[in-house]
Amino acid sequence: MKRALALLLALLLVIPMAACQTGNPSAADPTEAPAPTATQEPQEVQNAAEGIIGGKKYLKVYKTSFSSSYSSFNYFSTAYSTVRSIVSNCIDGLVEPDIYGVYVPSIAESWETNEDQTVWTFKIREGVNWVDHEGKDTGLAVTAEDFVDGIRYIGDPQNDAYSLRVVRNLIEGLYDYYWNLDDIDDPEVQTDLVRDEVIASFDETVGVKALDEYTVQYTLTSSAPYFLSLIESSMLLLPVEYDYAMEMGDDFAVDNEHMLYCGAYYISHFERDKAITLTKNPLYWDLEHITVDTVEYQMVPEGTTSLEMFKRGEVDDTSVEAEEYLSMAGTEWEDKLIPSERSLSTNYLWLDFQGENPEFNTFIQNENFRKALQYSLNREAIATLRDPVNPARILRNTINAEDAIFDGNGVDYTDYEPLKAIKETNYSNPELARQYMEAAVAELCEADGTIKGIEACTVDYLPVGTFEVDGKLPVTVIYVGTDDESEIIMAQLMKAMVEEAIGTDLINFEIAAFSGWTYGTVADPLNYDIYFDSLSTGYADPSGLLTRMTTDGAENVGCYEVPEYDALIEKSLNAATFEERLQYFAEAEAYLCNGAYVIPFISSLRGYYMTNSMPFTSPLTLYGNSKYKGTLVMEEPLTYDEYKTLEAAYDIARTEALKEN
Amino acid sequence: MESKKMPNAVLNPLKFRAAVFDTINSENTGFSNYSYWRSTIRTFFKNKAVVVLVALVFAMIVMSIFYPIFSDVDPTAVSLFPLDWNLRPSAEHWFGTDTLGRDIWARAWYGCRNSSLLGFCIALSDVGFGMIAGALWGYNKKLDPFMIELYNIMTNIPSTVYLVLLAYIMNTSFLTLFISMASRGWIVEARFFRNRILSLRDSEYNIASKCLGTPMRRIATRNIIPHIVSLIIMEAALCIPYSIGSEVFMGFVGVGMPVDAITLGNIVNQGRASFTLHPYQMLLPTVILCIITVAFYVIGNKFADASDPRNHV
Amino acid sequence: MTKYILSRTLRSLLTVVIVFVTVFMLLRLMPLTGYFPQEILKETDEATRMTYLRNQGLLDHPFVQLWRFVKNLFQGDLGRSLTVYPKVPIATLLKEKIPVTAAFGFSSMVLGIILGISLGLLMVRYKDRWGDRLGTFYILVVRAVPSLIYLFFIQVWISKWFNLPLVFYKDRPESWILPTICLSLGSIAYYALWLRRFMVDEENRDYVKFAQVKGLPKKVVLRRHVFKNAMIPLVIYLPSDLLFIISGSLVIESLYAIPGTGGLLTNAIKSQDNNLVQVIVLMYAILSVIGVFLGDLLVAFVDPRIKLTEGE
Repeated sequence: MKRALALLLALLLVIPMAACQTGNPSAADPTEAPAPTATQEPQEVQNAAEGIIGGKKYLKVYKTSFSSSYSSFNYFSTAYSTVRSIVSNCIDGLVEPDIYGVYVPSIAESWETNEDQTVWTFKIREGVNWVDHEGKDTGLAVTAEDFVDGIRYIGDPQNDAYSLRVVRNLIEGLYDYYWNLDDIDDPEVQTDLVRDEVIASFDETVGVKALDEYTVQYTLTSSAPYFLSLIESSMLLLPVEYDYAMEMGDDFAVDNEHMLYCGAYYISHFERDKAITLTKNPLYWDLEHITVDTVEYQMVPEGTTSLEMFKRGEVDDTSVEAEEYLSMAGTEWEDKLIPSERSLSTNYLWLDFQGENPEFNTFIQNENFRKALQYSLNREAIATLRDPVNPARILRNTINAEDAIFDGNGVDYTDYEPLKAIKETNYSNPELARQYMEAAVAELCEADGTIKGIEACTVDYLPVGTFEVDGKLPVTVIYVGTDDESEIIMAQLMKAMVEEAIGTDLINFEIAAFSGWTYGTVADPLNYDIYFDSLSTGYADPSGLLTRMTTDGAENVGCYEVPEYDALIEKSLNAATFEERLQYFAEAEAYLCNGAYVIPFISSLRGYYMTNSMPFTSPLTLYGNSKYKGTLVMEEPLTYDEYKTLEAAYDIARTEALKEN
Repeated sequence: MESKKMPNAVLNPLKFRAAVFDTINSENTGFSNYSYWRSTIRTFFKNKAVVVLVALVFAMIVMSIFYPIFSDVDPTAVSLFPLDWNLRPSAEHWFGTDTLGRDIWARAWYGCRNSSLLGFCIALSDVGFGMIAGALWGYNKKLDPFMIELYNIMTNIPSTVYLVLLAYIMNTSFLTLFISMASRGWIVEARFFRNRILSLRDSEYNIASKCLGTPMRRIATRNIIPHIVSLIIMEAALCIPYSIGSEVFMGFVGVGMPVDAITLGNIVNQGRASFTLHPYQMLLPTVILCIITVAFYVIGNKFADASDPRNHV
Repeated sequence: MTKYILSRTLRSLLTVVIVFVTVFMLLRLMPLTGYFPQEILKETDEATRMTYLRNQGLLDHPFVQLWRFVKNLFQGDLGRSLTVYPKVPIATLLKEKIPVTAAFGFSSMVLGIILGISLGLLMVRYKDRWGDRLGTFYILVVRAVPSLIYLFFIQVWISKWFNLPLVFYKDRPESWILPTICLSLGSIAYYALWLRRFMVDEENRDYVKFAQVKGLPKKVVLRRHVFKNAMIPLVIYLPSDLLFIISGSLVIESLYAIPGTGGLLTNAIKSQDNNLVQVIVLMYAILSVIGVFLGDLLVAFVDPRIKLTEGE
């Protein structure tokens, strides 16, 4: 246990360093020259930071906004990020990160794991009770059974849990339990099982047990050194008061009155599509660390409105898009703009390996063609659309985010060879793209420009559209994205880049935008040649993304078949050590990127923000949702200079803190 | 009345004969030289503002037809260099460039051409079909209950429902957009015309005229159509700017123009995101849009006034 | 009269049924993947999705679903929302949202009628002079300038000048002002435009000329004769407008963060929230036939020349 913790601490130490590599000038000083900062300046920096923190007055109310309407507070089935962030403040999980990202006790007082990290045992804090929406004690204690019941709840297909796959596959026996119940419910499947019997068998068959009233044990199907980060990121491992939830039925958590709370806050006021108020839970076990009494959320659908409200002091934070950022140059707000820190989400181009477009389908099987596409994009120019000042910080060539996954020695996963080479490659190379394309054409086309084995036809990609292809060069490529203005602009830019680099004599890049939810109508039924999407690293292990991208993986949207990749994933899942596991994963990811089966090109990072809250005072939630525990709310907006000082001091403090552990 | 059937015995039939209805001479009574259309046009152009607006619209139509033919500026030419993006107005780019370095002046005229074409088509079909249907509806009493229910049903089914379905089975193209927008406009117009025709048909002078034996065709062409023309013109004039505006919503539902197509709606929508930062990007398209709307509105109104026979005296 | 009302009611009922069934069936033609938000689709496999659809009863035959809906409806159960507000009872939703929108709709309608009619009268009274020109200018601006531009201007600048809140707060009455004004801008222009048009039309009538010849002052003629007659074509739409104040405005509600019904229907259709769409369509269809009926009654009431009889 201690070892795992030490590893985590050590790896977190490296985060700020890597963050600076992307070119953030503010963070450059303390990391590029770590030696002098560690010896001389720390005291000065520390003092300066303390001066800033000490010289402010702090408020007890935090006002914030959310943009899209949300539905219920059912944390097991919601996909809305606002709800997830609200709930993570209202329902405590077993562990939580501290301000340095080190996992510290929450509902669990202590925990241990076995040698291969397949069995995790948590000792639950005694005396934590569920409260209702008025902050009144219900008398129901949070026990080990509540965590078992959480799994029991999501294990029943009738409860429609969201994003179940990872947990369902990881917890011993849950997969079979779920599908047995599903078979019973499905009138078309013949089965001898009886629902009540299967449900009764839960405690026997599924790998989550209450050893006693305050000890819960998870048995996993495979080694999971990242299990604590999964607890942080996944809502599915939260506890539930089962009898209460069952009694509520469909009404469970549809509003604040139909749910129970055990976290730092409870939802005291709820007005649909308008406002939510979180109030400090008077019975909270860690009350002394709660600095904000009330968190007021209000719905502000328009981004420009929230910016204006921030300027008038009606909310305490706002995001600032690239365009707005430029318009504030020279105003009083200029020095209060802080660049968004990180995004674990990566933007990709999926390539359709089994599409109906015969021209594209012939070419996409050819590695030279894929590389031609890969090298034709000027990633920095695309990033300029998101951040006109410092686009370099947005670039990303790998599938998993950098600064997210670290091995026991604190080495970043993306610094494992051969992934490191990919990470550092400059993919913007029009000449190379043209050469690759010519090589592909030489292999696949007759001298007169006819593509071998292809005839003219009409490609039916409805509802996206139908397209005529003539079976000759140029190759017609149909790019499908959403009709969001900024995405269309990005697509138009890509079109220009690809056609410029490869040449319109060889490629014809067509854009078809589709309004609405593209995944179900475009990506899933393969109604595209190139599709734009994003995926994010969910917890501290590459498996979260990579195992989904195997030949028959759920996230293999392009339907490629790469047995070499599958083999590497298989190897990594069976690896003896975590380092070996990461090594194989890195090889697998590099293989996929190198062969350009998918083309990750930038991170989802965008824009800037302004805030009234003191940075680095709340838990560092890398994978999960932000928490208000410890947040200090100022009367005045934070300035960028203050931010830089605080960041430097924070980095030093964290280094110290991690050393001590 | 009776005299035709039973000639008065006192009158000598050799000295008197029944007058034949003389279509030519009957026109010569009242105003000499009166021609409805000439009078309409003359009244219409008497107004200075109208002359200016008509000239403006004419110039814009000419510009949006001929600019795309004679200009060699490609409105879709994207610049790969971020330095060319969002340029302010200059000698080279009269109205600056947009987010991807495309010339706004050129885009505006291409957009104006596409949008106006769409507007005219929609106006033609809505008002055209609407008038025919409205006339039938107004004149045929048996049709009335059926048409009223049809109207109720059609206006009560939210268009989004079938537009979303339509988007699943059809390409995004000019034709799809036209079909989706024209699918419902006609019945609203039809009801409008039906109500007007109904009140005109039953107005006293028409009933009188009918009693005097004037043929239906003549009542329709002389007494009803001139009254309706003013409405037709006005409805059509209002329809054009309206359809240009609603094109954006159609895109939202998924039956809009292809992404690459340039329309005024598209340009204004794109400029919206950067409105506070680059207001000039929206300037030209908005001005063109405003001119179209204002011009058609004023022209429609003035022409309606001019073509109203009651204003001719 | 009774016979008229009866036959009218029957026909309206038929309309409502046809509208409802058509929409119900159209919704069932939508692709199954549309029932999942993007995030959920990405995270689930085919089998899990089918499980969800089965749980929601979406895989049953459309007629079975129709029967279930109608049965529940008569038991007073409107069902629960499917995708927009998962599992939230639709009755609760409507109960929360309609009052907010209706309050705004009603106040903006009253404002629109008062200001619109005043402006229309002003334009007629000073026809072809400054009053008319001012009114025309206003109408042109509202109609010609893309609404987004002036709505944005009102929200950001006017609120700054008059120190009004940027968004709507239930407990701050001054936050109602801007949204109400924004909502009524269009209807002011509408009433002014048509009132002017109809009044100018009426002014050419013989009875008006006769009244003038009699020596009545222009003001009296306008008020006593012209105005009353010109209002008839406008009055017919009043009940519908009044009933449809509950439908709300997508753009303005989003701009001022008003938790109303604006955009509810469009969202529901786009997210294929069948249950919600059905209920809203049914509600609107009923309101619409009632509105038309009341409109006719009202016209018969204000215009003695018109009598409501079947087949005239």
